[in-house]
Amino acid sequence: MIGLLQVSMMETLLSSLIPIIASIKLFLTFAFVIRLRTLGLVIIFFTIVMVVLLVFILIFIYLKNKHEKKYAKYKIISGLLIRKAVFFDGIMLEETLIPVTKRATKLMVNNRFRKLFTEDLITAKNNITGTSAENLKHLYRQLNLHKNAFQDLKSTRWHIKAKAIQELNLMEIIEFKDNLFPFTNHKTELVRMEAQTALIQFTGFEGLQFLDTITYSISEWQQIKLLQKLSNLPPVHIKIDDWLKSTNNSVVVFALKLARNYHHFELHDLILTCLDHSDAQVRQQAIYCLGEIYTNETSIHLISRFWREGLKHQLLIIKALKNIGSENDIPFLLTLLPIDNYEMKLAAVEALAFNGKKGLSSLNSYCKKDIEIHNISMQVKEELVA
Amino acid sequence: MNWQVIIFDIFTYGMLVYASILMTIYVCIGIFSIGETRAYRRKNSFTDYRVIASSSEAPSISILAPAFNEGATIIDNVRSLLSLNYINLEVIVVNDQSTDDSLNLLINTYDLYKTNYSVHQQIPTQPVKAVYKSHNPVYKKLIVVDKCKGGKADSLNVGINLSKNNILVSIDVDCILEQDALLKLSKPFLEQTNKRVIAAGGVLRIANSCYVESGRLVKVNLPEQFLPRVQTLEYIRAFLLSRMAWARLNGLLLISGAFGAFDKEIVIKCGGYNNKTVGEDMELVVRMRRFMEEKKEPYKVSFIPDPLCWTEVPATFKNLGRQRNRWTRGTIETLLSHRKMLFNPKYRLLGLLSYPYWLLFEFLAPIIETFGFMMFILFCVTGMVSWLCFFIMMSIFSIGVLYSIFAILMEVLTYNQYKQNKDILRLVLVAIAEPVIFHPFVVLSAIKGNFDLLRKRNAWGVLTKEGFSHHEKNKL
Repeated sequence: MIGLLQVSMMETLLSSLIPIIASIKLFLTFAFVIRLRTLGLVIIFFTIVMVVLLVFILIFIYLKNKHEKKYAKYKIISGLLIRKAVFFDGIMLEETLIPVTKRATKLMVNNRFRKLFTEDLITAKNNITGTSAENLKHLYRQLNLHKNAFQDLKSTRWHIKAKAIQELNLMEIIEFKDNLFPFTNHKTELVRMEAQTALIQFTGFEGLQFLDTITYSISEWQQIKLLQKLSNLPPVHIKIDDWLKSTNNSVVVFALKLARNYHHFELHDLILTCLDHSDAQVRQQAIYCLGEIYTNETSIHLISRFWREGLKHQLLIIKALKNIGSENDIPFLLTLLPIDNYEMKLAAVEALAFNGKKGLSSLNSYCKKDIEIHNISMQVKEELVA
Repeated sequence: MNWQVIIFDIFTYGMLVYASILMTIYVCIGIFSIGETRAYRRKNSFTDYRVIASSSEAPSISILAPAFNEGATIIDNVRSLLSLNYINLEVIVVNDQSTDDSLNLLINTYDLYKTNYSVHQQIPTQPVKAVYKSHNPVYKKLIVVDKCKGGKADSLNVGINLSKNNILVSIDVDCILEQDALLKLSKPFLEQTNKRVIAAGGVLRIANSCYVESGRLVKVNLPEQFLPRVQTLEYIRAFLLSRMAWARLNGLLLISGAFGAFDKEIVIKCGGYNNKTVGEDMELVVRMRRFMEEKKEPYKVSFIPDPLCWTEVPATFKNLGRQRNRWTRGTIETLLSHRKMLFNPKYRLLGLLSYPYWLLFEFLAPIIETFGFMMFILFCVTGMVSWLCFFIMMSIFSIGVLYSIFAILMEVLTYNQYKQNKDILRLVLVAIAEPVIFHPFVVLSAIKGNFDLLRKRNAWGVLTKEGFSHHEKNKL
């Protein structure tokens, strides 16, 4: 009886679901056009697509192999031409022509060959210097490849534009210099990165003028790249003051790096003002910078800002004091030892250990009453010896 | 309409709706991955990694390599890590109380001595027995830690406590890294401008049947055995399509524990790896993302499609079953511990898309599939089966194969690691065989993982690896 009741309740419950199921069914019937024949067609469709994809892969592999054979042939011609230019020993005047075979001249019309040859030429140019590199530049001009690059600069596709800038830069097409500046603040990151690099390549430190106008952030990657480019140039005095006051925080960070790398001691006071900057990255870079550019007063300024900063910057300040600190900083460093933070203790112990005989003796005295500091100082001393 | 028909209809149309959503996701993943991979490759063609290889401004990296009974390969693998092309680097090998001779081998080979290192327990871990460094300045980047047994997550936490650098790279010590892997992995951290990059991952490739010489990959081969070969296809699909697509959306929830980079500051703020789960890699990424969402700080989890790390995958059903069982338990544990985020608009994309996707299509998929299959058998027995059901299953099968073939196409068009034509055809055959031979086993292992979790079986599961050394006889 109870069983029957349950069954009838279940049926009532399920029957209440009927309209919902029916409407879902109706919806799905319309939405997905579910009919046996249609589903059959779906399977046939997918099978066809699978076969088409498979055929596509096979055709792709076949064409790729074929292309690779052709590519190998082009590679030989391109290599021969480059070798000829590298070993060309004629007097190189503007009107001098490096001999180019008829076959190679004919092939230059072919987009694929021209692209491959340009890439090979750039690779070769990157790996050699001196007369041979000059010859390669000459050949690039002689074959009017720079005109193609100028054409590519007008492309609406960012990667073609950026590639063209990179090419003109590497082949040192100097007349391009005047058109370069607007690209340094281009909306596409890669375009402006290549333009900034090219500008420095062409004009050296003077090229850094783009820092006056740039509105976009300069990534850490690009900063490293620019610093590396600059490191290959003979150092000249650059005016960094305005960049340290820039509203673009990444420009201020980069200027601080320049000040540190090129030892602009005259900017010490201006760098100190960066310790009060609203941007954490600027403050961080300023602390780094003051570890290199300092006066007798620097540590006082760093210590006065110590308690305002978070742990990360506090540790950086202690590290800076390790490099620049004097006996006057010892009392401050000793106040950090009882703080319940291992990193802080470690940094303070390191700074004391580096702070001459007085620092070391203060540390040793403290070790006698604090076993943790004793252990840390053992580690630090061992590292010092290593 | 009687109740049997209603149940039948609920089941049939329910399955159809579920399958349709899944297929739509596959299509979206395909489209997004094309966009992301193309953008990456274009950008990468401008990159000269030599710039940071020699720069002192490059971010400092600590490699964390937990090791347990890796004596057979540890010397070569550590040598390979020490020879990586990167300047600001320290390599921390954490010996999790190995019962073999791993530690002694390291001590003797690298001329190690016990230091007075005091370890800062910023993340609680099992006690550290000793910290070793080398007398030889050539190995000055190497730190070896001997600790009490605590599992992989605990070893990684010990590594974090010891590390001095800003980026943590966790790796499986038996993996082989490409020489420029760290250069490529550190780049996303250097490119950040308005969004903080909290983690970055790279593509894992399968090293079975490849030629390895002194811890370096010399020649890439398609695995000879069926299981590793089918996993090759699975990895291509997962890394080249799925992770790239999720990276484009900034919705990536998993950076593989075998090779991933993390912002140390955020890792520590989040409390490090969770040693209560067997899916510590996924759990950490989810926790880091949750932390950033709650702090309302803009962030990004990056992914690189370049093959950076080569690993050996299980070649037997026994080992594969253990691995998938563990992955399932790890996924469930992570989803359970962060269930607060499900459909929670406060967590934006993370709560509204990434988490629901993992819940519905990664965790629930094997259960739904098994249920569907059992119902199909039941309907067959009771004579209720219709061609409709059959066609639905066939559609799912054909779309699955289609998706795999698309992944192969992407591989051929991009990195093309398997250059011989016959390898591509073999992969296509594997794509057709996978849903029949491999997939049901993976589903069963996942179901077993669910049961094991319910029965509170939390073992890691021992995976025996063949090792690369046997290929060394076949050096080029």
